[in-house]
Amino acid sequence: MRNVAIISVGYNDRFVAKRPDVNIPEMIQPAVANALKKTKMKHSDIGVVVEGNMPTFEGINYPHLWFSDHIGAAGKPVLRISTGGTTGMSVFHGGYYCVASGMFDVAMVIGWEKHDEGDAQVGLMGIVLPEAFSLFQFGPDMSGGRGGGMGLLGGGGSTGGASFQALSYLAKAKGTPEHIDKMAAQARSNAAKNPYAHLQHPNCTAADIAKTPMVSYPLRFGHTCPTSCGACVMILVAEEKVKKFADTDRVAWVKAVATASSDATTGNLIDGQINDPAEQAICEKIAAPKAYQLAGIQNPKKEIQMCEVYDGFAHQELMWPEKLHLVDNSCKAIDEGRLAIDGEMPVNPSGGVVSTNAIGASAMVRVAEASLQVMGMAEGGHQVPRRVKNALAHGWGGLFQFVTITIVGDEPVKR
Amino acid sequence: MQKEKKETRQVSDILDMSLLKWRIEADGLELLVQGFKEKKILGRKCHKCGMVYVPGPSYCRKCFIDIQDVVEVSKKGKIACYTVNLADVRGNPVDEISVAVQVKLDGSDSWMMGQLEIDDWKKVHVGMPAELILREETTGALADMVCFRPI
Ligand SMILES: [Zn+2]
Repeated sequence: MRNVAIISVGYNDRFVAKRPDVNIPEMIQPAVANALKKTKMKHSDIGVVVEGNMPTFEGINYPHLWFSDHIGAAGKPVLRISTGGTTGMSVFHGGYYCVASGMFDVAMVIGWEKHDEGDAQVGLMGIVLPEAFSLFQFGPDMSGGRGGGMGLLGGGGSTGGASFQALSYLAKAKGTPEHIDKMAAQARSNAAKNPYAHLQHPNCTAADIAKTPMVSYPLRFGHTCPTSCGACVMILVAEEKVKKFADTDRVAWVKAVATASSDATTGNLIDGQINDPAEQAICEKIAAPKAYQLAGIQNPKKEIQMCEVYDGFAHQELMWPEKLHLVDNSCKAIDEGRLAIDGEMPVNPSGGVVSTNAIGASAMVRVAEASLQVMGMAEGGHQVPRRVKNALAHGWGGLFQFVTITIVGDEPVKR
Repeated sequence: MQKEKKETRQVSDILDMSLLKWRIEADGLELLVQGFKEKKILGRKCHKCGMVYVPGPSYCRKCFIDIQDVVEVSKKGKIACYTVNLADVRGNPVDEISVAVQVKLDGSDSWMMGQLEIDDWKKVHVGMPAELILREETTGALADMVCFRPI
């Protein structure tokens, strides 16, 4: 297996709610150009392109049929990967496998979403319904009657499912809904320091968040992600080609990738409670230990200097660092300011998914942001002040049943 | 925010989900509703790992083997997690607030979803004992399940 470096990250200008000025290919193309601009390569040097977004969110099932030429993929292999919220990182892993395996020297990976052309709630119906059907096997009549109808899935669409997780998490962590307010406030404040973030709220306070309406207890509007438009592009290069193609001496080395999946009924068949959405054994007991083993990391709390977790809802920004063995109790840590950009374990300096969510891009943005932190290139004041030697990126998808992890660092792993 | 330029124009379309015919596994549900006729809550137990599923799938999701052993579990259990529906799918406030719960019935390893009947949603908490209420006259249908009530 070869070592692989991330040599470049490209975004559009800023993730926004609407891009009526461009179509899907036109939205993705500048991000590709921005990524290429930061390298010494031409698009003809790219060996393979891996791409993904959420099918049905824009109602187009094979969007790559439409934009291969716009991404410089004419004459090259194009692979499409789609795994739900994890899509962006699964796409990244796909590109990594292409290069690490020795099949290609250079891979370009693209995660994107153009939410303004579809309807996220309708898109979610086509995705969540098969999972809801799976839940029929575990529960009463969700289609109507006094069983509660689809209302059993909770209010506010996907927020409902997440709210079960939030309450189960809070009960275990001995936290309160106010901890979620604090976490959301930190995320939106961090986003204000990231020129690419969608919802920017400088100096946002827990009291600001607590003023937003409740959707599905304990989750408020202020705890939920927006629907954003934008693309993320990364260029991955084999170790022996880094000098030739990288335009910087600070690249981010991929030290580990790990992923695990479970069933659709909130995904915890590994052990313990079958349906507990806040257990997440696939992360805590499978994917995270695997990632640390591959990266040669013995003490994640000390050896990892920051993380970017997939927090579609603010309570997840508290929960995931615990499941990733980076924080013992996040509720306590946020109270003590330890998750801030200048804290001992900065969580989502970018503002996270709760501030910017172009879904097919979001899990890849986690890797991109972790890489920029390692490269010392995070713009606008969200660079972690101490030197980031290792950073962890995380994604979750489906009904909390997929988890992806990537660890990047400033040195390659000696294999 | 970008200004709308003349370069794009909108083409509208709709995906009609009523044309799709999705099928779901019904075996475990059938066992459950047949049990309702005798006011019993029936699930399946894996003979290998001992997991009890309610409703019970025809295979163990952990061991990936077929399972047949039928077991009866209690109507009583504890609220494992819950949410309070204060808004509809578009985020608009609802007139009638409802509490959706997942209850771990005693003797079962899976959680069952349902609606909790309670006067004040602020009283609900994780770990609260609750009981599944069936209709007085059960017929062997999902509609036999009325709700959960705190004990
Ligand atoms: Zn089993």
